Amino acid sequence: MLTLKLAIRNLLRNTRRTVLTAMLIGFSLTALILVDALMLGMLDILVNSITKNLVGEAQIHRAGFRDNFDVDLYLSETNKIRETLDQDPTIAAYSERVLAGGMLSSSYNVATGLMYGINAASERQVTQLPDAIIEGQYLTGKSGEILIGDELAELLEVGLGDRLVITLSEADTSELAQTLFRVAGIFKFGIKGVDKGVVFTNLGQARGVIGLTNEQSHEFALRFTDRALATLPDTAVYQNLNTSEVETLSWLQLNKPIASIIELSRFASLIIGSILFILAGLGVINSMFMSIYERIYEFGVIKALGTRPARVAGLIMTEALLIAVISCIAGLILAYILGAYTSVHGVPMGEYQVSGIAIDSRILTRLEPYQFIQFPIYVIFLTLVAAIYPARFAARIVPTEALQRSL
Amino acid sequence: MQQITFVRGLIVSGLLLTTCVMADNDIDKRLDKQRDAIQIINQMEALYRGDSSRADMTMIVKTPHYQREMKMTSSAVGDEQSFIRVLAPKKDRGIATLKLDDEMWNYFPKINKVIKVPPSMMMGAWMGSDFTNDDLVKQTALTDEYNLTLNETETEYIVTLVPKELTVTVWGKIDYLVDRAAMVPIEQNFYDDRGKLIRTLAFSELKQFGDVRLPSRLEMIPLNKDGHKTIIIYDELIFDPDDVAPSVFTLRNLKSRF
Amino acid sequence: MSLLVKLAFRNIFRQRRRSLLTALSIGGGYFLCTLSFSLTEGSYNNLINLFTLTKTGHVQIHKNDYLDRPKLYKAIDDYAVIGQQLDHMDQVKSYTYRTFAPALAYSDDGNRPAQVIGIDLTRERATTLIADKVTSGHYIDNNADSDGYFQAMVGAGIAESLKIGLGDDLILISQGADGSIANDIFKVGAIIGSSGGGDDANVYLPLIAAQSFLTLEERVHEIVVTLDDYSESEAFAEAFSKKLAETLPGLAFSNLTISTWQVVEVDFYNSMESDKRGNAVALAVILFIVFIGVLNTVLMSVLERTREFGVMKAIGSRPATILSLVTIETTMLAALSVVAALFLTLPLTYWLAHVGFELSEPLDVGGIMFSAYRGEMSWFVFGVPFLLLVFFAFVISIPPGIRAARILPTQAMRSF
Repeated sequence: MLTLKLAIRNLLRNTRRTVLTAMLIGFSLTALILVDALMLGMLDILVNSITKNLVGEAQIHRAGFRDNFDVDLYLSETNKIRETLDQDPTIAAYSERVLAGGMLSSSYNVATGLMYGINAASERQVTQLPDAIIEGQYLTGKSGEILIGDELAELLEVGLGDRLVITLSEADTSELAQTLFRVAGIFKFGIKGVDKGVVFTNLGQARGVIGLTNEQSHEFALRFTDRALATLPDTAVYQNLNTSEVETLSWLQLNKPIASIIELSRFASLIIGSILFILAGLGVINSMFMSIYERIYEFGVIKALGTRPARVAGLIMTEALLIAVISCIAGLILAYILGAYTSVHGVPMGEYQVSGIAIDSRILTRLEPYQFIQFPIYVIFLTLVAAIYPARFAARIVPTEALQRSL
Repeated sequence: MQQITFVRGLIVSGLLLTTCVMADNDIDKRLDKQRDAIQIINQMEALYRGDSSRADMTMIVKTPHYQREMKMTSSAVGDEQSFIRVLAPKKDRGIATLKLDDEMWNYFPKINKVIKVPPSMMMGAWMGSDFTNDDLVKQTALTDEYNLTLNETETEYIVTLVPKELTVTVWGKIDYLVDRAAMVPIEQNFYDDRGKLIRTLAFSELKQFGDVRLPSRLEMIPLNKDGHKTIIIYDELIFDPDDVAPSVFTLRNLKSRF
Repeated sequence: MSLLVKLAFRNIFRQRRRSLLTALSIGGGYFLCTLSFSLTEGSYNNLINLFTLTKTGHVQIHKNDYLDRPKLYKAIDDYAVIGQQLDHMDQVKSYTYRTFAPALAYSDDGNRPAQVIGIDLTRERATTLIADKVTSGHYIDNNADSDGYFQAMVGAGIAESLKIGLGDDLILISQGADGSIANDIFKVGAIIGSSGGGDDANVYLPLIAAQSFLTLEERVHEIVVTLDDYSESEAFAEAFSKKLAETLPGLAFSNLTISTWQVVEVDFYNSMESDKRGNAVALAVILFIVFIGVLNTVLMSVLERTREFGVMKAIGSRPATILSLVTIETTMLAALSVVAALFLTLPLTYWLAHVGFELSEPLDVGGIMFSAYRGEMSWFVFGVPFLLLVFFAFVISIPPGIRAARILPTQAMRSF
């Protein structure tokens, strides 16, 4: 208790130094938290843009389908797949789709495109398609509806309500099929390939056009109850639905380059974090030493009076601990204020395109409990470690030398 | 030739009268007009009727960037089978197209290969013209697919075809203008849903081909593309010739000497 | 003056512990800053170089708005004449010609869309890294074989889809510039790239073969120019534009658009700029922390010597002398710390620049595969943090220095 009181008093004696040291430690903590939050924010945007746009968190296909999007490589007996998915508690939602490439013609122009037949309701639960609509409305299930990307709409010179004829070859027979659609909505994903080359129609009608039954489709897009499950290999769906015919892949496996980015940013965070710690540590050591020098005469006196070295060391450590705690509190408060602000208003960044995915404007930081619990603990721990050397020094002060010290 | 096919298709649709439901006492008058419309279309169709035909023609394609003239010969049986071979320019001599029902093949002598036309190319331009492969192939089996109305002036009959709601076509409306006196087609106009004229097919230069008198010059002008035009001129047109055998419409014939 | 310097120098080594701590702080800060700079500048520069030298070059010349809306007929006539003009420009390292056309590629196993790219084989090789992209077979030449067939370098994606390999026939169907149907057979002489890469749908042909195939005559769609350094792009584009206007005023040379790589690959450029901004934020944070650390140590180093300065003043030192002493000491210490830090920083940066971090899965940035995250060795990377830190140490030592200079000897000697 005495030690504590002494420590507090010592710290208050030279407020400037205490404040400076506290600032150093505090700011380091704040910086650590904010940079981490920023990195998390960036990752979030990246992952969101992948999983919520078209890919979903995982997908089920016939093996080899993704090589060429061959319309003949469809999944059969999809009712069984649906059953499996319905019974799986880790799956929050799924969307069944058919895909076929063909020609799109308007009264004015022609273009190639990929037609996705989707179930409007279930698609809404898996991807962000409804949010990407900039004109008109999302699919309602009515026959003849089609959603078209803004760039494609420009190329074909069509607007809402205009005619669009899709010409494609049917599955298995390769016979030519043509169907009339009318533009119900125009979307903008910000992904070039999609805005220029993909159209969405209702699943039932698309199946009819391609010549597939209700138990046949090309793809299931999945969303899990917890996104983290998507990348865990033990997750039920990867166990049950990976055979020689059918493959189930996570968004990470479907977007391999993104894994590198994630790895890279984790690495970068680690490096920055480590060196920041070291810097902060150095500052603490310096600060501690300063305070010891200042009081060296004092230490000489108390040691001459019989204070054990251990207690002297203990005093220094306590001071360090106190500073650390105070700094961390200050740092946390600052981090919280800045973090809360940027998590809502974001940090403005401009446009970013990696692997064909556009990451747009501001990055919203993400604050996580571990930043506010673990990081301060590390910092306090670091401060204590940094204080060891000065503490030992103080413990080892030889009274006679200290008392002689003038300058 | 595909143009005949197309025009034929159009006419065939007129044959089976569509039910234009109108609930007023002009019904009789309208039905009369429709009957007239059918009659007119019948007549036009009769002009081009024949179970089989053979033609020699010249196709001129004009774009802002090039101008091409090709000479071709074609054979056709009904709407399902047609065979076209390019005779000039020398570079393209021997290129041939075979159409059977919905499918189409091209032969290129330079590389000695027969290539099946995939759906992606179907809506593309045929031989760089303003006609699409699709114009060639599609039956436009227009029976029951269009509503017809007839208007008249002193010199012309105007048959307006409006696709029914489920008809698969990119056009909102098609006008068919017929010369009353000569009973030959003058013009076909293709409109989008908003009534804007997108392309027009003009018939001119009446010529006598055997027993029949027909416009020998067809001009397709897409109005949404400046400076583009395709002209087809029938140099020779023979109906029900003796030398159109089934063997003409085979893949082997694509490669044969001529 | 020299007395002060000597004094400063001696002072530094007198208080070893304090100097050491301050030096560690400054040195450590330097280390961190330099590494960060190296990584950000390095990855940025590497990426740009990779991109421009593999694909786009530094400056491109097209007809009209070919870049935005490519059409076969938007071609450059008399490109050789333009080439001659390029020969006169010093900044030009190399240039090459290309033509493009969409086509359908056929084999006995099926068909798929392909992009035909006609390239001047010798020039292209000297201008971009295309020869390095050959994964199978050999970089082709302009010769047709005994049957009159030219060779083609085929993208891995096409080779896989159509199940063709070296020596097999590749049929290409396209539309000629005269409206005719272009059709020809080529022999697969090389496979370019690997599956999933940016060249997947490309087929490279010798320029003359492509021009003949597409009935393009003596025209090309694109002239690609590389300079000594990508940073010269804008200046060069402007200079060459003027030159062309002066020397080639004919109609054939009107409507030429000269675009820098930033315009050609605007998405890539935007993402790089954005990345740069992100990095700048991170760097700013790092610098801030470093500066706080330096501030801390320098401030305290000066302040704890108050007593010392009190004595100096008591024996007659001028305030100005004290201030000078403080600032010189601090600045010198900073400089020395940095130099000392170089011993660790240099080798690490070197390693970073030449080895770097291997990505477990190559990154596709705008079609180019990026597999190693490298740093950069340059004066900029080492110099800027050095200047910043020394300057900062200098500046930060002034307020406490002034304070020390103004101190009343009696007060000073009473405090610690």
